[in-house]
Amino acid sequence: MTRRSLTKALSAFLLCFAVSFSTTPAHASSFEEEATSFVRTLAEQAIGELTDKSVPREQRIALFREFFTTHFAVDGIGKWILGRHWRKASDTEREEYLLLFEDLMVVSYVDRFAAYAGEPLIVVKTLTQNENNATVFAEIEQPGGAPPVHVDWRVARKGAMYKIVDVIVEGTSMSSTLRSDFGSTIRQRGGKISGLLTALREKTASLRAAAN
Amino acid sequence: MRAVFAFNNTLDKVILEPAASIYRDVVPDKGRVAVHNFLNNLRTPVIFFNAVLQGDFEHALQTLARFLVNTTAGILGFNDTAAELGMEYRDEDFGQTLAVWNMPEGPYIMLPILGPSNPRDAIGRVVDFIIDPLNIWAGNADNDWAVPTRTGADALDFRALHFDTIADLEKSSLDFYATVRTLYRQRRNDEINNGTVDPTISVPSIGERMDDGPALEEISQAN
Repeated sequence: MTRRSLTKALSAFLLCFAVSFSTTPAHASSFEEEATSFVRTLAEQAIGELTDKSVPREQRIALFREFFTTHFAVDGIGKWILGRHWRKASDTEREEYLLLFEDLMVVSYVDRFAAYAGEPLIVVKTLTQNENNATVFAEIEQPGGAPPVHVDWRVARKGAMYKIVDVIVEGTSMSSTLRSDFGSTIRQRGGKISGLLTALREKTASLRAAAN
Repeated sequence: MRAVFAFNNTLDKVILEPAASIYRDVVPDKGRVAVHNFLNNLRTPVIFFNAVLQGDFEHALQTLARFLVNTTAGILGFNDTAAELGMEYRDEDFGQTLAVWNMPEGPYIMLPILGPSNPRDAIGRVVDFIIDPLNIWAGNADNDWAVPTRTGADALDFRALHFDTIADLEKSSLDFYATVRTLYRQRRNDEINNGTVDPTISVPSIGERMDDGPALEEISQAN
């Protein structure tokens, strides 16, 4: 076990512990409440750890990767985005794809978090779709009295584990948007997964180099 | 469509993006919010008509109340006092009305200068322009400046409001054209449904494995 996966496992364990601990009243807490507190905890953690611009970018990338892979269903989202193309991909292509997908998310979102001034996230309501899927509807305040931005978090659970499977900003789903983006890239590049992998390699390299 | 998109992008880079950038630098947050509120208030008649046409009389009344409150207490609409009282802004247009009337959206089109659209929304734009009292007044009173000024201000307001989002998307998407296309469709659906999320919509699942272990194991399970 590498050091990275060990810290990951540890922080995942601690998070579960924190979630179950903080939401255990006299009676068993409902899925709704747990999903809500999962998102609240995430928001607090993100504001606390990922918005400090004085931390060097390389370190922020590492912190954000940790945060993202722990709390988001990275593999599940990655597979869903690829849809039918997943079945056609070889094992090597699948492996590289999932790694590149994680890289793309990390290098595209790390600077957005740094630019984020830490306006509080207000949970409006939580609705459960079924016993393992819930949506936490939240608003993020904007500077200067502009109307708040609506951000909905799709949360899935498996046993005691909670993960974000989609983020919907003003009605636009992150997962659906990436699905269109990647699907179109595959079509533009001769219907081949290898074309997408080339595009992903180029994009992640340029994002890593260009920022700052 | 991609050629028109490239043309629009060039126009944006040469005119709108630099203008929005200066606007953001020169006018503070509060000032830009005031302009945004003023422009929203000018849309009242169009929102009102369309809420009525959609049979949403509650929203029509709220829009009317918003106009009365914001034009007076909100000082000609520069302050969104109504929102502070719990009556929030929600846009309606004839494209949304046609959708409520079950007209299909048709194919995605990229209009020169105007940007992403579809036949339903293009018809909507024309109808909204015709029924807007501000345009009727400008046409009758020979106030040639009014319509282009308002259109320019709307464009500048939109571009400045979404400045960072657009920059991020352009930077991080593989196919910016496809990204804009899906975002346009998703935004329009959200507006048509007045912000209610469809709970039956497909979402990714966690996958077989809950931890973030090696992708290879996940792959062999997926097979």
